[in-house]
Amino acid sequence: MNAIDQLIAEAPRFFSYWNMMFLGQAALNTLMVSFLGCLIGYFVGFVIATLRLAEVLPVGPLRALFIGWTEAIRRIPFLVLLMCVFFGFQLSGAHQRLFVIALTAVALRMSALAAENIRAGYESVHRLQWEAAAALNIPPLQALFRIILPQAWRVILPPSTIHAVSMIKETSLVSQIGFLELTFAARMLNQRGFSALICFGTILILYFVISWSFAALGRYAERRLVTEARRHLQLPPAR
Amino acid sequence: MQLQYGQVLGYLPDFLIGACIALLIALVAFALGLLIGLGGASTLAYGPRPARLAVRCYVSFFANTPQLVQIFFLFFALPEFGVLLTPVQAVLIGMTLNAGAYLTEIQRAGFQSLPQAEIDATETLGFSRLQTVRHVIAPHIVKALYPSLSNHYIIMTLGTSMAAIFGVEELTARALNANAISFRSIEIFSLTALIYIGLTIIASVILYTFGRLMFRVKARVF
Repeated sequence: MNAIDQLIAEAPRFFSYWNMMFLGQAALNTLMVSFLGCLIGYFVGFVIATLRLAEVLPVGPLRALFIGWTEAIRRIPFLVLLMCVFFGFQLSGAHQRLFVIALTAVALRMSALAAENIRAGYESVHRLQWEAAAALNIPPLQALFRIILPQAWRVILPPSTIHAVSMIKETSLVSQIGFLELTFAARMLNQRGFSALICFGTILILYFVISWSFAALGRYAERRLVTEARRHLQLPPAR
Repeated sequence: MQLQYGQVLGYLPDFLIGACIALLIALVAFALGLLIGLGGASTLAYGPRPARLAVRCYVSFFANTPQLVQIFFLFFALPEFGVLLTPVQAVLIGMTLNAGAYLTEIQRAGFQSLPQAEIDATETLGFSRLQTVRHVIAPHIVKALYPSLSNHYIIMTLGTSMAAIFGVEELTARALNANAISFRSIEIFSLTALIYIGLTIIASVILYTFGRLMFRVKARVF
């Protein structure tokens, strides 16, 4: 039988209520892992990037430690990082649910990407501003929150939405440890006898819809925030 | 439980061969992707409307779906149409198509950064089309694109680790096999991670030095 005929023949059986609930649950898991992971990752990344600043942490070796940490985590493939976290949990004897393991791996990876991104944001603000703040006797953390960050966030924001969306795609690798997300769900349905064409085709479309809509949302938010900031600063609107 | 690296170090030569295979896969997919990207970017810049639309669909589809699932699709769904791919072929085709989408986007940005005034100037000076490309367009594009292209090459080298899932014998697959034999999991995967870190640092240094010497590009690589 032709593959397309077969696809049409099994479509009603595949798109049954329970299968759709199963895929919906899996999609929800994908979203949960990637967004919680990104949130935690961004928080940790922010702390790391801030502690890398000589103005905040004037201890050279400690800063080098943080720099080494981000550089190392960025250069490990997500699959290998996942295996390290997976077996690390096993070694430590902490029996955790797969969700926690997947979340840890995503957050670890995200923390390094976020730290790098936030560092670029900090560097976009001129060094003299730190010196001016110090001359005015403003403590470093206050200078960071009141002076540096309000200028840096416009550099930080656009890559961070891209990172968040790319994390949704990277979580497909989490299926390798058996966590039930979209890719794992597709493989399960495939093993239950549905053709690979319909299983992987469906989740390809699902992934596309999710990631495309979040990317569009990110672009919209970015445009909104930048025009608002321009109006606030009374700059001419962007071309 | 304690860490025992002694047992694991015996796998090191095996792993290093795997690392070379990973670099090779990334290189082949990158080179082919570069060609697709060049075609795509020139279509977006100069092509007719339907072709532009097709390229845009291709780019947004491949950039918005996970590479792993794309390769799964090639590997498991294409046999239903009578196309049987070996693991290496599936991984190479998947990575090439994926790279093609990203490299189209990167090269399009490079094309856009061409200063129109300089091209007008070459016309005034009576340059031929070839001379314009040789003396103005090519140096400019190479300089503008070099950092993002080398970054993407390193990202692709890291991306080859997912070839392990399909049974291609590269670094991660060798680590998984060694893990299945020796059960020294954390030692093996930390060693693998170290090899990947070393590999990408060496690649960064080489690409940076090459760009600095050949094209005077000062941007940091990865």
